[in-house]
Amino acid sequence: MKNLDRYGYYFIAPFWIIFLVFNIYPVALTLYYSFTNYNGSGTSEVVGFANYARLITDSYFLEAFVNTWKIWGINFALQIAIALILAAIFSDLRVKMKGLSFFRAIFYLPNLITVSSVALLFGILLDWQHGSLNLVLLNLGLISEPINWLNEPATAQLSVSLILTWMWFGHSFIVVMAGVSGISRDYYEAALIDGANRWQTFSKITLPLLKPILLYIMITSLIGGLQLFDLPMLLTDGIGSPEGSLNTMVLYLYNQAFKYNNYGYAAAVAYGLFIITVIFSAIVFKSMYRDQKKQARQV
Amino acid sequence: MKKIMGFVMSLVVLIGVLAGCSDSESSSGSGDAKGEKKVDLKIWSFTDELKKPIKKFEEKNGVKVELTIVPIADYPTKLKPVLDSGVGAPDVFTGEIAFLKQWVDAGYWENLSADPYNADKISDKYIPYVFDLGKDSEGNVRALSWQTTPGGIYYKRSIAKEVLGTDNPDEVGEMLSSMDKVFEVAEKMKEKGYRMFPDEGAIRWFSQGDNPQAWVNENNDLKLTDQKIEFMDYAKKLRKNNYTALAGEWSPSWFEAMDKPIKVKENGKETETQVFSYVLPTWGLHSVLKTNVKESAGDWAVTNGPSPYFWGGTWLGVYNKSKNKELAYDFVKMMTQDDEFLTDWAKETGDVLSYLPVTSKIKDDFSDEFLGGQNNYKFFLDQAKKIEPGIVTKYDQQLDTLYGNAVKDYVDGKKTKDEAVKEFYRQAKNAYPELNVPKK
Repeated sequence: MKNLDRYGYYFIAPFWIIFLVFNIYPVALTLYYSFTNYNGSGTSEVVGFANYARLITDSYFLEAFVNTWKIWGINFALQIAIALILAAIFSDLRVKMKGLSFFRAIFYLPNLITVSSVALLFGILLDWQHGSLNLVLLNLGLISEPINWLNEPATAQLSVSLILTWMWFGHSFIVVMAGVSGISRDYYEAALIDGANRWQTFSKITLPLLKPILLYIMITSLIGGLQLFDLPMLLTDGIGSPEGSLNTMVLYLYNQAFKYNNYGYAAAVAYGLFIITVIFSAIVFKSMYRDQKKQARQV
Repeated sequence: MKKIMGFVMSLVVLIGVLAGCSDSESSSGSGDAKGEKKVDLKIWSFTDELKKPIKKFEEKNGVKVELTIVPIADYPTKLKPVLDSGVGAPDVFTGEIAFLKQWVDAGYWENLSADPYNADKISDKYIPYVFDLGKDSEGNVRALSWQTTPGGIYYKRSIAKEVLGTDNPDEVGEMLSSMDKVFEVAEKMKEKGYRMFPDEGAIRWFSQGDNPQAWVNENNDLKLTDQKIEFMDYAKKLRKNNYTALAGEWSPSWFEAMDKPIKVKENGKETETQVFSYVLPTWGLHSVLKTNVKESAGDWAVTNGPSPYFWGGTWLGVYNKSKNKELAYDFVKMMTQDDEFLTDWAKETGDVLSYLPVTSKIKDDFSDEFLGGQNNYKFFLDQAKKIEPGIVTKYDQQLDTLYGNAVKDYVDGKKTKDEAVKEFYRQAKNAYPELNVPKK
């Protein structure tokens, strides 16, 4: 019989060619740049590990790392909490909420707005002197002086976190709801008959069975969160003001490359970011794997 | 037979549609025209400013020019690879002041000091600082500019009359000729319930004081002059004494305050006030004030501040690997040295030219209704001639931003002056490791 294997390779060739040219080649080139002092034009020299040596002692990169985690962490905690509460309400047998698909669409809407519009919108809402938020708070008498939200490190970071939450909780909610609808109704009915209250139902049935879904949300959100760039870039001056509190890792990378023309160092930052992402993804994967093993043993 | 006719008809319709497409595309002259027509000259820029000149150039020379407009944020990153590879590269491209100094040394622009251009011969026909900025580090001319963008202080005549007793630009200019005098005026404004500037950033253009020096000298030393440090105190004083309306540059309230009274919230109370003046350059008149002001049009005038300054500007040069350098330079020549064209251009747009043979002829006939009939052209030319050439470096844009942040932290009371300066040095060193930064 004739060997037809090669036809298979022909068919997957387009993917591989595009992948090699547009993914592998730039990644490899970036690795090369990270060992040079390339500045965007002209020639460059190979400088060995100098860029990486600078990276591990760079206080601004450390600051960016901490900022990224803070902003992402608060956002993630809130986003999951809101998604779970909403899921609990919508899946409750006793409440019988109507219009799930309507709310699902509404909650998801913020995610459809481009980030630049969101940044512009919140830039105006949070304006120090004329923003609606301050006007409302002043008129309610909750504050006596307008708060310069985007000018104080703590409030600026919190603002970004909350905007991200607003943008993403709908997405998490949909995924959580998908997970909840995969849980057999039998458990809930049994719990109802056994007289379990809402909290018991939620913590003993919903939450444990949602674990794989929650881990999935966590990993995708983590990878996206570590690459946080657009909002901090657009909300203030693009270099992380106030006082470097919105300086995230990718923003730092961007500024090193495209504002200061330190392409070599920026490439090293990119690999630093890559390594960090790999480490944290590995930790999350590992914990998930261990959990599954434990569960398997219990069963 | 019917079938064949049908096929032919649909083919005709299809061709018609396609031809229509390509026609409209190429006549719009936009970048991605894929028309079959031969293009003689390719030009890249970041605004549509060159559209009209290109049309004129096409008519004059009977050639076809293709203009590609790339938004300023992407312009350097998109242009660079094209220039590196030479594939689809423009014959002429423009450069903005923000990256001009980097580009004159990047080796993409043709050396215009050499034969057959000999641009040095016409050096005395230009505003000195404009011509100087187009030179690379070895003193060769790489790019030329048709415009000059000096700045001034635009103020409202009615307020000046009420508070200062005059709205004459020369007299008001005299009252603003030093920082101390500016503060005297600011105090008078405050007494009558007005605010001198929209925000503290307004005075950053005067931070050089009477000692203009480059941020970085030839030995790569970062120079923070005493005047620039002193500027921190000026900025702080503006805030502390409530001389500004707390309307940050380019913010909605900044625009609003041009035309209307605005509300300022500070020290627990809200006051309504009007802003007296805006610190803006030549283009600020046409693309900022005129486009945002309705009611107070005609109530404005422009005068000098404590020191001359400039803000922005566009240069253009010939790509050194262009296959059509002669025609390319013809275009540069038309934009920068053609008496007839430049006269029309200046009259049409009000753009302040850097080419003196034309400006000396036309400067006396200008008057702008928006500025109550003032001849702003003459004023700006005088300012432009006072600007010190040779103090612009490729670091300016970013160092100005970083220093602006340091000043802001000091004004906001988040840092002491020493801390702010120290942080500025740290950030400058981080951005540009090659700089020698004072250890303090």
